[in-house]
Amino acid sequence: MAGPWKMVMDNISRDRLISILSPLMLLLLWEALVRFHLLDYRFFPPPSTIVGRFWELLVDGTIPSHVAISLFRVFSGFLVGAVPGVIIGLTMGLFPVIRAALEPVVAATYPIPKLALLPLMLLIFGYGEASKIATIGLGCFFLVLINTVAGVVNIDKIFLDVARNYGATKRDYYLTIALPGALPMIFTGMKLGLGVSLLLIVAAEMIGAQNGIGYLIWTSYQIFRLEDMYIGLVLMAFFGYFFTMGLNSLERVVIPWKDPKS
Amino acid sequence: MEGPKIVVRGLSKVFGTGDKAVLALDDVSFTVPKGQFLCILGPSGCGKTTLLRILAGLEKKTGGHLVLHHENPAQPLNSMVFQEYSLLPWLTVLDNVAYGLRMRGIPPREREARARGFIDKVGLGEFARSYPHQLSGGMKQRVSVARAFVNDPEILLMDEPFASLDEQNKILLQQELLRIWEGTNKTVVYVTHSIDEALYLGDRILLMTARPGRIKRDIEVSFPRPRDFKELKTNPRFAALFAEVWGALKEEVLGTTLKERPPRLAGT
Ligand SMILES: Nc1ncnc2c1ncn2[C@@H]1O[C@H](COP(=O)(O)OP(=O)(O)O)[C@@H](O)[C@H]1O
Ligand SMILES: [Mg+2]
Repeated sequence: MAGPWKMVMDNISRDRLISILSPLMLLLLWEALVRFHLLDYRFFPPPSTIVGRFWELLVDGTIPSHVAISLFRVFSGFLVGAVPGVIIGLTMGLFPVIRAALEPVVAATYPIPKLALLPLMLLIFGYGEASKIATIGLGCFFLVLINTVAGVVNIDKIFLDVARNYGATKRDYYLTIALPGALPMIFTGMKLGLGVSLLLIVAAEMIGAQNGIGYLIWTSYQIFRLEDMYIGLVLMAFFGYFFTMGLNSLERVVIPWKDPKS
Repeated sequence: MEGPKIVVRGLSKVFGTGDKAVLALDDVSFTVPKGQFLCILGPSGCGKTTLLRILAGLEKKTGGHLVLHHENPAQPLNSMVFQEYSLLPWLTVLDNVAYGLRMRGIPPREREARARGFIDKVGLGEFARSYPHQLSGGMKQRVSVARAFVNDPEILLMDEPFASLDEQNKILLQQELLRIWEGTNKTVVYVTHSIDEALYLGDRILLMTARPGRIKRDIEVSFPRPRDFKELKTNPRFAALFAEVWGALKEEVLGTTLKERPPRLAGT
């Protein structure tokens, strides 16, 4: 018994070790290549300087303030887009008449790249937070909306019959059938929405902001401070990773009924 | 038995229009007295589900008349046990069983107590917190039966609830159903394609023709209650009634498989 089990354990810890070591090796290689002038340090500043600079900006409060404002914009935009996306999506999914009325509008506006709307948002909402939040909101809205509608439409019709037979009110259809039934798809939409939010926040802050991680990346390009730019890139990567992790754990908590086999 | 609970007169149902129109029910008439356990027996595709869904108000009738007597407005008129698995996957067994009570605005504590009572009655006490995907087919249908009964409707509509179960489970659930139903004075319309089941459960059997569904025979099943499945199977009157029903049903089954009735409405 111990033999095969031990082998599995060995494999797991070996794989984990490799997955920790390989990025470290890559960083070491990078450092070495720059030191030996095989890589141009102006484009690829060595990881040791980036880490040093990171510490500097962390302590003087520059990074925390950029991170805070970017997070605020992403989460506000996400909420502003996802909440109406879910509500309108459930309504379109439940009522074929409303779906028929709104589907052409959605189909026509969805393909517009949301970034292309940023100038319009700047004109409407001005240079303040609202324009950034609105742009991100639009990006999330459509993804959440479309996935929610699909989620409701794909709910087995038998469950609607059950609700009707047991005397469900309109509100009951929303809360006991459409919302829980579409929840897995709503999560799909939210994950896609968060991905798009990261894209939009960087672009919006490069064009129309005086702070945030996108602004950090853009100004470091203009003054040619590439350590700062790499810090911005790494921060974005971390955000993407933690947002996805967060949504995944939230999903496990709110969908405990999900059949692991399906 | 008291006055009629259900009156159906000349009921018809057409699905679709024009070339694609299908006549599913044609001139169906019958009356169900209060408290009767009525079985509707017919070959598959004859319109049994359609008839039940019209009784439940889930489907519109095309023609004819239909009256369900609702005596007590505080009590729901009907609750249905569906043919397919119909438990809401996102609710626990307890919440599924309490669903009807929740829709009726009964406070959480009371509905939970009542739901637990019925979950125990169908022998699933320890699964109250499980989700449907963790249950076997037989357990799911037990929960469906409990969900309908706990709602305390005047009429129970049951659409082949045990058809997909293995023989042993089927007999067990039929026994449980009779045990729960006896003494409730609830009117039951129970759809099945099994002669055994109809004879064991019903006070009366309505035999339907193959599509379009019509009432072919109206057969009284007067075995005394409570009924014992083993005893009934060895009763010569059971055998005689079985032969009679099978004789009539066979014509319908053969009719569909050999002659292949035209599936469309003549002249439309
Ligand atoms: N929603 C529907 N649309 C079109 N045809 C239907 C629909 N529901 C049932 N039918 C047809 O009506 C007939 C009766 O179906 P059904 O009532 O389900 O039969 P049973 O329950 O006796 O097997 C079948 O031929 C079926 O194809
Ligand atoms: Mg059927």
